[in-house]
Amino acid sequence: MSRLEAKKPSLCESEPLTSERVRAALSVLKGIVTSCYGPSGRLKQLHNGLGGYVRTTSQSWALLSNLSVTHPVLKILTASVQNQAACFGDCGLFTAILCCNLIENVQRLALTPAAVIRLNKHLLSLCTDYLKSEACGCRIPVDFSSSRILLCLVRSILTSKPACMLTRKEIDHISALILRAFLFTIPENTEDHIILGKTIIVPLKGQRVMDSIVLPGILIEMSEIQFVRLLPFKKADVLKVALFGMSLSGDFSDTGEGTVMVSRGVSLENAVLDQLLRLGRQLVSDHVDLVLCQKVIHPSLKQFLSTHRVIAIDRVGGTLMEPLCKVTGTQPIGSLDSVSSSSYGSVKNVCPAQCGSKHFLHLIPSEASICSLLLCNRNDTAWDELKLTCQTALHVLQSTLKEPWVLLGGGCTETHLAAYIRHKTHTEPENLLSDDGCTKTELELIAEAFCSALESLAGSLEHDGGETLTDMKYGHCWSVQAGSPAVVSWADLLSQCGCGLHNSQEELSWSFLKSTRHPVAPDTCLPQKATDSAGGLTVDCLTAKLGGLQVAVETANLILDLSYIIQDKN
Amino acid sequence: MAAAGSVKAALQVAEVLETIVSRCMGPEGRQVLCTKPTGEVLLSRDGGRLLQALHLEHPIARVIVACVSSHLKKAGDGAKTFIVLLCHLLRGLHAITEKEKGDLMSENMQTHGKHWKNCCQWKCISQALLTFQTHILDCVMDQYLSRHFLSIFSSSAKERTLCRSSLELLLEAYFCGRVGRNNHKFISQLMCDYFFKCMTCKSGIEIFELIDDYFVELNVGVTGLPVSDSKIIAGLLLHRDFSVYCPADGDIRIVMVTEAIQPPFTTSGSEFFLNSETQFQTSQFWIMERTKAIMKHLCGQNVKLLLSSVKQPDSVVYYAALNGISVVECLSAEEVSFIQRITDLSPFVPQASSQYDISNTALVKFCKPFILRSKRYVHLGLISTCTFIPHCIVLCGPVQGLIEQHENALHGAFKMLRQLYKDLDLSYIRYASDQNETSSTPVSKNRRENDQLVETGNKSIQRPYQDTVVKDKDELEKTQTYLKVYSNLVVSDIELEAYIPCSTPELTSADTFQIDETLRCLSPGEHRIIGDCALLAEGNSIDNSTTQVTKITRKQSMSPVKYNSLDEGTCQSYYSSSIPAGSVLPVGGNFEILLHYYLTNYAKKCQSSEESMVSMLIANALLGIPKILCRYKNGKYSFPHFYLKALRALETNQPMVSSQTGLESVIGKYQLITSVLQCLIKILTIDLIISIKRQPQKVHHQDSEDEL
Repeated sequence: MSRLEAKKPSLCESEPLTSERVRAALSVLKGIVTSCYGPSGRLKQLHNGLGGYVRTTSQSWALLSNLSVTHPVLKILTASVQNQAACFGDCGLFTAILCCNLIENVQRLALTPAAVIRLNKHLLSLCTDYLKSEACGCRIPVDFSSSRILLCLVRSILTSKPACMLTRKEIDHISALILRAFLFTIPENTEDHIILGKTIIVPLKGQRVMDSIVLPGILIEMSEIQFVRLLPFKKADVLKVALFGMSLSGDFSDTGEGTVMVSRGVSLENAVLDQLLRLGRQLVSDHVDLVLCQKVIHPSLKQFLSTHRVIAIDRVGGTLMEPLCKVTGTQPIGSLDSVSSSSYGSVKNVCPAQCGSKHFLHLIPSEASICSLLLCNRNDTAWDELKLTCQTALHVLQSTLKEPWVLLGGGCTETHLAAYIRHKTHTEPENLLSDDGCTKTELELIAEAFCSALESLAGSLEHDGGETLTDMKYGHCWSVQAGSPAVVSWADLLSQCGCGLHNSQEELSWSFLKSTRHPVAPDTCLPQKATDSAGGLTVDCLTAKLGGLQVAVETANLILDLSYIIQDKN
Repeated sequence: MAAAGSVKAALQVAEVLETIVSRCMGPEGRQVLCTKPTGEVLLSRDGGRLLQALHLEHPIARVIVACVSSHLKKAGDGAKTFIVLLCHLLRGLHAITEKEKGDLMSENMQTHGKHWKNCCQWKCISQALLTFQTHILDCVMDQYLSRHFLSIFSSSAKERTLCRSSLELLLEAYFCGRVGRNNHKFISQLMCDYFFKCMTCKSGIEIFELIDDYFVELNVGVTGLPVSDSKIIAGLLLHRDFSVYCPADGDIRIVMVTEAIQPPFTTSGSEFFLNSETQFQTSQFWIMERTKAIMKHLCGQNVKLLLSSVKQPDSVVYYAALNGISVVECLSAEEVSFIQRITDLSPFVPQASSQYDISNTALVKFCKPFILRSKRYVHLGLISTCTFIPHCIVLCGPVQGLIEQHENALHGAFKMLRQLYKDLDLSYIRYASDQNETSSTPVSKNRRENDQLVETGNKSIQRPYQDTVVKDKDELEKTQTYLKVYSNLVVSDIELEAYIPCSTPELTSADTFQIDETLRCLSPGEHRIIGDCALLAEGNSIDNSTTQVTKITRKQSMSPVKYNSLDEGTCQSYYSSSIPAGSVLPVGGNFEILLHYYLTNYAKKCQSSEESMVSMLIANALLGIPKILCRYKNGKYSFPHFYLKALRALETNQPMVSSQTGLESVIGKYQLITSVLQCLIKILTIDLIISIKRQPQKVHHQDSEDEL
């Protein structure tokens, strides 16, 4: 008998944001994400009482996907941050913190949600317009003829993920590798639109980070025995490759919908094996040098091929098939009987490679946009974190290729934006209030909430009890260590701003982020040295940050607009 | 539960629902977050979805929710207004009974109070409501309200052409109540663009039907991007990747298959005897060769893309790649039928003979992979053979719940437009001003008697009646038999006349033909009965009138058709008219105030105290809607100001000035009021609620009740 249950009525909660429980949950979440933010962020250890290994991380994606939140409001928030991170690769924590800050700041004000949402939207479009405009003072154009800015970008990403456990030297090494891998994926002869290739990250755990390398082409892992058998292999000219997408194991599964009656004494296995060997003979006579199969190759066929000095590798797996197609320049073969000679591909060379404890067959393409990044790190959890970081970096580089700009990092963009908005709302509020019935006071309150959300985001880069300051000329972010002596002059105590563009000897004046200031217009023209100085800047991806900003404000608006929560209790 | 209690109980339930719903209503409304038992979260301002998500237990609440969802199925809009209006009606009824009790105590009886005391049975009121809904409402709509109607069609040309600015206003007002307040402008603009991109000059209502039916196929959701990144792209996006992609330029010929191209080893129901190994190998070889031949043939016919609704074997994909044919597999049944409808492409049956041409191919402008957030789609530039130019909407949003909300709102908007594109027939009886009481009373009495029967068995009578109609359809000309049939069914005719509006919410759009059919045959019948009451004129004149009516009603398209009875004996006129397609009014409670004004006037003129009472009740309840819409406004825009200004304008015959820009569909509003009255009648006719403690007998039975 089927189970029968009457549906339980749902739980309806009114004005969820006013409840103490939700506020507490939000502030806990904010505490978690804020403490992870930035290069000096604290790490989180995630462990599941039921099993699995312990993971140490400070990345939003890993953190939030493992966190089980129960309240629907938090679910919306975390889902939105995760989607953003999956979409842009970077700036997940930025989005989460900004969203939490906005909600928290606005809640303190006793304004109607309608006004808040409308004004938040105006402020957001003010920000996006500014960041996209030519006059933006926190945006640097990327020059693809030199690797400087790109290297800065990758290095900033690696530095901001402390759970990778990399030293300064290792960061330099890995960022160079990532950039090289990215350049490999750009095809050489481009037509009207570019299709980027792929970087395959090959795990090699337990090795030194400095052993990581980037190789063009594909590495196929193999057992030691196979490897030893291959070792005498030396061939330097172009190799002919047959790539099979179907099983070569001699199984016969698809017989249609009817029944097959087999007479006594007839062996289908032999028949199929016969077919396989005939295929083998054809391959040999066509001078194929390398046979790759996604699934299993029958041992007899393998034996046959190896006696004819054809390398046969099976169980390549579905994920490698597409890159293999690209590298060899062919489509997988789907027929046992007549393999047309046009369906063979080629590679420039094949060589066995040994890295650490693992053995690979290295396919070197004559010309393809596929490369392999052999990534080493000391232990599982650090390797996972490093892999995620590498993927992020590659993703960010790709978006930078589409939109060749980077934003200043280290909190400088946030403080600069805050200064800009303060200035704009102070000087020309009528532009923002043009169409709808919001008052000037409302605008000032919301703008203050918005700016302080941005500023406390910059402030949360500081975890060691230090203070964050901003200068009155550029609106950049400066941090001072905790326990500094009572100051005589800030210029002596501070050295560089967050992004590294300005130093303290430039006749600037500072004030604390938390203190109230008179709004001043930040300097919007970028100094020339930004584009040509050799020093290491901290920069962020424009696409990711802009997307994060938009998603954060939209999510905050969404949450502030909630009037009821109806929970289905079935 | 006692009968008198049922209004009170219903009022309590409705008030609870009203408080929830009214907060999401209007342009100032806010969002509601619903969680599903699976853990998904959904954002919504859609009243219907909200009511469903509540999983209400109270029996009256369940009746209300059922009524709302059947209304939504038809109109696609108005769930929140439904609840508010119902609540106000119940409140009005409750107040009347309370007042009556007060009157009893103070011994100060007014005539109305007396009347209500006399027939203070809810059933009686429900009948009055029914009469109102079937006659008075249509009459008021046609006689008074129609002069205020605006149209979304520009009137300059002979043909109906849609005016873009009016459509924008209409959609903006619609999305104002459906999506979050900072997105409604963007979404309505998106929909407007979409609509005009898809439409050709010849498209009419079928475009809405098409979009409504295949809405899921026509949009793609992308999470993680801001809403403002949503866009419209030309062509169709299939939610899957190519199995093989071979780039090709220019117009591309496509074929569609619904079965595996490779011949199967055995077919079902057959047995294959294998006698030797060579036999097996030869048959395998033959299969391969045949597959190869078919693919070569396709290639020879210049086919560049193969769409398949099933997974094709490896060999097919291999040979397709060799011949430069791209392959897309595993299309859903909806996608297949959509492509068929757009391009008239019929499935291709694989045959190897190279002699014949493949006739069933279609052309696409392009076919390429499309990447959205690292997920790959197939992008097809279908060349349409009908009036719909295929376009897709890519909806972006930070979370899936928001995208779903936008998707639902867009779908609802298409439903609303679909309704707006249709004429809505009105029919009513109007007594001539010089009528004498004697001629009208028998009719109304007769009606009342018959109306009482409506509750008992209208459905059972309707079916045999329809059967008769279908049977006798061909013999309509033969008035003799026709009359005979109807004389047997005199009673059921009147009931049906009253029933049909009731049944519409329950009938799905597929049944419209049937409704038309019944309506068409009804009017003669109706006439016939009225004729009976009017002391039967000669048979000749009846014959005449019946045939004439059938003729007139066959020409459905005529707008305002007035039909005066040929019978000299009565002074009643039968009007059949219609609300023309595309009628709109400004938003913000204009419709409600207009209807309120005219109903009040009507009630003043009305002789029957019962009718005037019901009219007043409804007129007052209607005001509840603008009250809620104006609740956050003050000063010049507050409700009393707005109301008084509107009344003054109406009395002096000046145009009403609306504080808001935006339009709403009149047909939608009309349907809403009829649905609410239906629901109220349903509630009032219940006198006892029996709760059954036993488990329901069948699982699916219970499910169907919950999902109403």
